[in-house]
This record gives sequence, C-alpha cells and structure tokens, in this order.
Amino acid sequence: MFNKMDPGYTILVYIVWFLSTYFIVVFLLALFRNRDRLYDSPELNENKELPKVSIVMSAYNEEKKISESIESLKSIDYPKELYEVIILNDGSVDKTSEIVKKYADGKHIIFVDNEKNKGKAACLNQGISLARGEFVACMDADSIVLEDVLKKTLPYFEDKEMGAVTVSVEVKNANNFLQKIIQIEYILGLSLFLKVFSSFNCIHVTPGPFSIYRKLVLKEINGFDKNNITEDLEIAYRIHKADYKITNCMNTCVRTITPHNFKGLYRQRRRWYSGALLTFWQHKDISFRKRAGLFGYFVPFNYALIILGLGLFLLSLYLFFSNIIRNFSFYSLTNYNFFSNLLWNFDILNMSIFVFFGVFGIIGMIILVTFGLNATRNAQKKKVSVYFGYFLLFFMYQFFWLCSFFLALFRKKVRW
Amino acid sequence: MVANKGIFITAAIITVMLFISIYSFNMFLNTQRERVVIERMEQVIDEYQEIQALSLMSDAFGKDMTCLSLEKRLAHMDKTLWDTGIKIDRYREVTEKFIMDPFYIDQKKKFNRNEVIYLSMLKGMKDWCEFNQTVILYFYKKKEDCLHCDDQAFVLTDLNKEIDSEIAIFSFDSNLELPSIDTLELFYSIDSYPCIVIEDDTYCSLHDKNQLTARLCDYRNLSICSWEKIK
Repeated sequence: MFNKMDPGYTILVYIVWFLSTYFIVVFLLALFRNRDRLYDSPELNENKELPKVSIVMSAYNEEKKISESIESLKSIDYPKELYEVIILNDGSVDKTSEIVKKYADGKHIIFVDNEKNKGKAACLNQGISLARGEFVACMDADSIVLEDVLKKTLPYFEDKEMGAVTVSVEVKNANNFLQKIIQIEYILGLSLFLKVFSSFNCIHVTPGPFSIYRKLVLKEINGFDKNNITEDLEIAYRIHKADYKITNCMNTCVRTITPHNFKGLYRQRRRWYSGALLTFWQHKDISFRKRAGLFGYFVPFNYALIILGLGLFLLSLYLFFSNIIRNFSFYSLTNYNFFSNLLWNFDILNMSIFVFFGVFGIIGMIILVTFGLNATRNAQKKKVSVYFGYFLLFFMYQFFWLCSFFLALFRKKVRW
Repeated sequence: MVANKGIFITAAIITVMLFISIYSFNMFLNTQRERVVIERMEQVIDEYQEIQALSLMSDAFGKDMTCLSLEKRLAHMDKTLWDTGIKIDRYREVTEKFIMDPFYIDQKKKFNRNEVIYLSMLKGMKDWCEFNQTVILYFYKKKEDCLHCDDQAFVLTDLNKEIDSEIAIFSFDSNLELPSIDTLELFYSIDSYPCIVIEDDTYCSLHDKNQLTARLCDYRNLSICSWEKIK
C-alpha cells in the first residue's frame, strides 16, 4: 500500500516544493526590485495628436448592470470625438436591448442588436470589424472603468511592439466573506502578479473585464477565437506568438462583479480552468520556443506546477483520510479509547521532513500575500481571517482544478 | 518595468539554499534521533548489567535480599525497553525509507536481542522470586507481510499503558531473522502473524482488547479483570 515514505511521494514533495518556492522567490525578487515603480506609467502627450479608440462591449442578459457600465464609459476623460463605444447585444432575452437603445446615438455609442446568441468571442469580433479606432478596448458589460482608463493605458502603445495593455481588476461589491477573499485574489492575481509578470513579458491573460489592444495586432491574429471559452486567455497566447508584448497598468482599474457563493465560484473557475487547460493544449507548441521568449518557459512551468501540485494534493488527501480511517480501525479494537494513545509531549524528532517543507511552504505563502498586499494601494487590512480565507480558497482551487481536468480531458462542454 | 534575467539565477540559488537548509536540518535531526536511540540502548545495557549483578548477588546472598530490588529493576527495565522500542519505530517512520537506514535495522536487532536476554532472565527469576507478572510475547512482521500486526501492536500498547506493572510484553520482529527469535518461534510453534504467547500458550490471530483481556484473565486476576471491563 502507498504510504508517505514512498520514494515517489517523497520525490513529488521535493519537486513541488522546489518549483513553488522558486516561483515565489522569483516573484518576490521582481517585486522588491520594482516596488517603487509598480504605479509608474508613461504620461499621455496631449500635445500630440491623440489616437482614436473603440470600446467594444458584448452584452448577454445584462439588464441589471449595463446602465452603470455605459455611464462609466460616458464619463471617460478623453475627447468624445476620439472614442466610440460599440455595444453588441448577444441575443439577450431580458431588457438589455431596450436599455442600450436609450443610450445609443449611432455616433458615439453604436448599438448592434444581434437577435441570436453567438457567443462572446464572435460578438467581440463583430465589434472589432466595425471599430474605427486605432486601438480597440474590449470590456465586459458587468464592469465599470475609471475615468482615466484611456489616458493611463494608451501611452504604453508608444512602444511599437506593444500588442495589448491590461489594467488592475478589482471587485465591484465585496459584500460577503467569499467576495472579500476573491477581492484579495484579484488584487494579487489579476493586478500585481500581472504587473510583475509584465516585467518578464509573461502576461498570460488579457482580462475580459477591460483590456485594450492595438487594432493592427487584432487584425493580424484574426481577433478572438470564437471556439474558445476563455477567449481573453487564448488571445494572449497568440499575441505572444505574433511577437508582440503585453503589459499591465496598475494606475487605473476596472471594477467587476464576482460570484457571491460557492456554486457561482465553481461555475466561474470551471470555465476558467478548463479553458486554460484546453488553451494550453491548443498552443502547446509555444512551450520552450525561443521566439516566444520567457513566455515559452513560463507557460509549461506554470502548468507543470499546477499538475504536480494537484497530484501531490490528491495523494496527501488520500494519505490524510486513509490515516484517519486507519486510526479509527485501531481505536475500534480498544473500544474507542481515544485518550489511551494520545501523546501530549512535543518532540521535534518525531517530525518528518515533510512537516518542515510544509511549514516553509506556508511561510512562503504568507510572505507572498503580505508583501503583495503591502505593495498594492487598494488592499484591504491584513486580518488573520483574510489569510485563513485565502488558504481556504487555495484548497478549493485544487477541487476546481480537478473538475476542470476532468472536463478538459473528456472534452465536456463548459458553459458560461 | 523591466526585470533583469539575473533574477532567475538569484532565485534558483536562494531556492537551492533553502532546500539544502531544510534537508540539512533534517539530517541534523537524524543524528539527534540516532543519538537518542543510542543513549536509550546504553541505558538498557546499563540496566541489564545491574540486573545481572543483582542476579549474581541473589545466588551468593540468597533470594530474600535481592528479589525485591530485582523485581523493581525488572519492572523499570520493562518500561525502558518498551519506550525504546516505540522510539526506534517512531524515528524510523519519519526517516526516509528510500534511503537505506542500516542504523535503525542494527538498533532494532540490538533491541530484540536485549529483549531475548531480558525474557530469559525474567523466566529464570520468575519462579525463584515468585514474581506475578504475566509474560506476553508478541511476534510480528512488517506491514507488507502481516496485515494485522499494526493493529495488534496498537492493542498491546493500549493494554500496556493500562496495566503496565502487571504484565511484561516482549515484542519480536520476525523480519530481522535473528537466530534467537527464530528459536523462540520454533519453540512456541509460531506459524502466522500476529502471534501472541501468554504464559507459554500460543495464540496466533488478531486479538482486540476485549479478547486479549479475557485471555489474560484466564491466567491471572489482573486489575482489568472485572466483568464490566471484559464485556
């Protein structure tokens, strides 16, 4: 029977610990080196001719949120004649269409009413084909942007190799504990991590809530992949493949909604993770490709860590439960006299090397979260419950990854 | 924001150093574990020599003078041996299996030999000094060869905690293939594992606490031999 001292398990612990610690150390080193420059962004030269921008938004049954979203777009601090908003109804069955029609003027806000639902990526492509701007921003209909979103992001495109710019993604209304924890995850994962990854040109996703692209690049790579359920992730791979860069601007943000319960979170992550796996498989040729630069190493490293980490998690879970069952069977032989074999004296010599690796792993995570939150401006207070929740989320993600592996492996259809 | 590629090398060096630190700390703990086991074994040998001296004294000065202190010594040694056996097993558990651990195998052999010596002494003293400890021999093999040996060890540990002064348990690892243990196995007709010998009678199968208590109570009226406890 498999046990914790099996060579395979021991080696797996070593590999996962090494890879995850290496990842944390690289991240922390890059963060320390750039901690004073995280919020630096190039200034928009308003003396120069400003470029025209198109903001494309696909909407499906968004009657409750789309007004707020359009209002935020209307208040963007950028000359009105230089940006247009293209809203595409994706076959909504609620009042989305009626609401948007009230805003549409055919010039500044253009409305395209698709009666049939054709999917987000296809809708965005339709919007891109209509766009007249030199730059195209794609945005979710349940999100709101800050006024300075264009002024902060457009200057990055001075670099001719820049293909896309992402912004910080924040949670719009974090009411319950789950949403507050996800808020931290977004602050770290969809803002700070992307900013740090951008220093290696390793941004792997252009988040759907708001990302801005050079239109020429979108044309060159034929827009979004309409067969992919994580089109914002997939397009990042093709931007890298086309030798363009992606960067992140932490100086502005998009605020989006987040699941408010476990079921909603599970649905969201099932889509994200199975989409991520299928995208990786679709673009596996990018792995170790010299032309892709560090991104070609970052992607396989990332997925190797996820797969091995999940394997380790499952084996550890098996050990944990088999140990509990074994102990119960032991105690059944002694009339469940639970106190007879309890040892209260602490002896460090009774601890295996796994305990030390585990403790170091937890310390590494705490350092990562603490320094990460310290480096960001909009971080919430660092309470013990926040750390506890973050670790809880980490365990939940293993379950989500497992389900997503199953879905990806058997090519099960994942819906929005 | 640009990161120097040297970060990857620096990070690799830091990670390797952290890994080595944890690994070295565990190696240090391994030496400490070995030291504890060696100290325990030395303690067992010291006690064994003391008992041997008392035994010789009883030959020369008569049993009345030495039996009392011999009984105390033997009870103490019984506990020392039991604790040492548990320590060896625990430390072995937390030591990596795939790296050969000849130290623990060696210590386990020494430990088992000492048990045989102690058993032989106890058997000699028992009748002469009229000791009333119930002697239990426990023969076991490793988990892969014996499905219920861990279960039986758990029951015996539980029992030993409850009536330590009334019983003397000797556990013998049959995987060590020591001639002395082989001889004992032959003598007591051990044909399967786990196997328990109570006062020279052999019972080879898993016994839960109730079954074992009932068997023990057939031989002597121990403190656990009330009807409520046996049921």
